[in-house]
Amino acid sequence: MLRNAVNGLENLLMNEIPAGSVILVNGAEGTLKSGLVFSMLSNHITVTGEHGLYVSLEQTKWSHLQNMNSLRIKKVDGLHIFDYQDMRKEWIDRELDFSTMTEEVIDFYKNKYDNLKVFALDSLNALYSISDDAPLRKKMYHFFLSLREEGLTSFLIMESPPSRLSTQFTEWHQPERFLADGTIELGMVEVNGVVKRYIQILKMRATRHAMEKHQITIDENGLNILGPIY
Amino acid sequence: MNRSIDKVPELCESQEDYCKKFIERIIKTNREVFILSCLLEKQMCGYDLIKDIFTKCDVFLSQGTVYPILYTLEEEGLLIAEYSRGDMRSKKYSLTPRGREVAERDIEEFANALEQTSSLIKR
Repeated sequence: MLRNAVNGLENLLMNEIPAGSVILVNGAEGTLKSGLVFSMLSNHITVTGEHGLYVSLEQTKWSHLQNMNSLRIKKVDGLHIFDYQDMRKEWIDRELDFSTMTEEVIDFYKNKYDNLKVFALDSLNALYSISDDAPLRKKMYHFFLSLREEGLTSFLIMESPPSRLSTQFTEWHQPERFLADGTIELGMVEVNGVVKRYIQILKMRATRHAMEKHQITIDENGLNILGPIY
Repeated sequence: MNRSIDKVPELCESQEDYCKKFIERIIKTNREVFILSCLLEKQMCGYDLIKDIFTKCDVFLSQGTVYPILYTLEEEGLLIAEYSRGDMRSKKYSLTPRGREVAERDIEEFANALEQTSSLIKR
């Protein structure tokens, strides 16, 4: 159902993303990473009646919803949003283990809603920046594994530097790339003097997919994926 | 089997240990009731709740298990959250009238269940 969650995505994914896949969604700022993932989860939940969890480390729930509203992306009842703002404010003097806490938050929502099937983390960069880097990197393997064991189809958002606009996904975030089942890249490219946003599926295990960059647009109905950019 | 007198403190300690672990298990599997019980007394933020339960029961409830409960209870209309004047750092939660009803009912049911369990194993 996820391949039908955004208008035009079915032209990039020839078959369904296997349940329990962990997918990186990578791109520079302003490339619609949060919008794409939130839209996929929201539309998927509308059709399936499942529940989903969107964990935001950077924004509060309200600012995220405001942002989604400006993109005409609606939140559905079964999509739960959890943010760390209160926790970070109240425990400012303490070292917090955000990857373990995120697992606990997932456990809570899974226990509360039997059919919680989709998950998103916005973003892995924020998780790294507020945690002690070295042990966290080691914990990533465990984190990816626990998402799979939970049977959650997961989207982990990663922001790449702005200087990478229109270049290929290369050396960035290598450990995550190896651990992930899929990588979706979002970016901007200049074609004939016009800057266009694109989506490209670089990897998706057990799924046949297009490799070309496809234009992604936003209108009053939300996100649309159009034909190949070149 | 003869028990030496010097083993007695060890036995006491292990009994205490068992009791502590049992209480910890009970609290961790019934977090919501304990959180509601704390909020019956006064309004608190997540930090206050964790500290209060730790002080009273010597059990640490991790942040990742407490804040989601607060958020969902708020969504369900059982809690109301507000920032206290002059302290935008912590969001204080208090029970709504319906939340108070639910808290009192849940606490009573929980206490009854514990009592019944205890009477089942007493001879």
